[in-house]
Amino acid sequence: MDLSYQEKSILGSLLAVVVVYGYYFASVLRDASRPGFDGGNMARLVFTVVAIVVIEVVYHIVLALESKVEAKDERDILIECKAYRNAYFLLASGAFLVIASVMMASLAGDSVPTRIIVTPFLTINLVLFFMVLAELAKFLTQLFYYRKGL
Amino acid sequence: MLKGRIRNHIRKLRFLGSEMTQQQLAEKIGVTRQTVIAIEGDKYSPSLEVAFRIARVFEVPLEEVFQYDTTDAGSGGSM
Repeated sequence: MDLSYQEKSILGSLLAVVVVYGYYFASVLRDASRPGFDGGNMARLVFTVVAIVVIEVVYHIVLALESKVEAKDERDILIECKAYRNAYFLLASGAFLVIASVMMASLAGDSVPTRIIVTPFLTINLVLFFMVLAELAKFLTQLFYYRKGL
Repeated sequence: MLKGRIRNHIRKLRFLGSEMTQQQLAEKIGVTRQTVIAIEGDKYSPSLEVAFRIARVFEVPLEEVFQYDTTDAGSGGSM
């Protein structure tokens, strides 16, 4: 398959996000019953962000050495705009969901199920999850339009 | 609403124009080779500015490069 520089760049970023955040959220699921967001959680999150940055930087250095770097043209920018639209929709939906869950928990008072949903640990990770989901939607939309055409 | 698709004769014009490569055309009009491939394959309609640049490279009017085809809208294939 003949992939352009932009497609290779997106594919690398997509794989990095899937692997690193996949590992992060798998570990989060194991600790889902934790109420607070402590130093250990913070360290894990910082490590994940640093890992993503390092992988992206190394990958793009290798990519620049292996293939010719091409600046974005009007088609790349248009595809990116369409991708951001989908990502924004997912991020806005996620934000609405988190706000709704916090509001419902406040209204429900001591109702156990809602209290479980809105622990700081889960709220923070739910917001992060939708941010990652939006990023994935952006990458996948871009790859889709590069293959299918506009 | 009138529906159609933009078709082009870029491939033919490239070969008539001393067999210009896609990369050479891309460099002349300021886009990537993948964008030229997409335009030739009717997978991307360029901006007016890029369309005019293409016409200027081949020294022909815009209508000789691009046509708005409303006769068989929806059918696949390129020029």
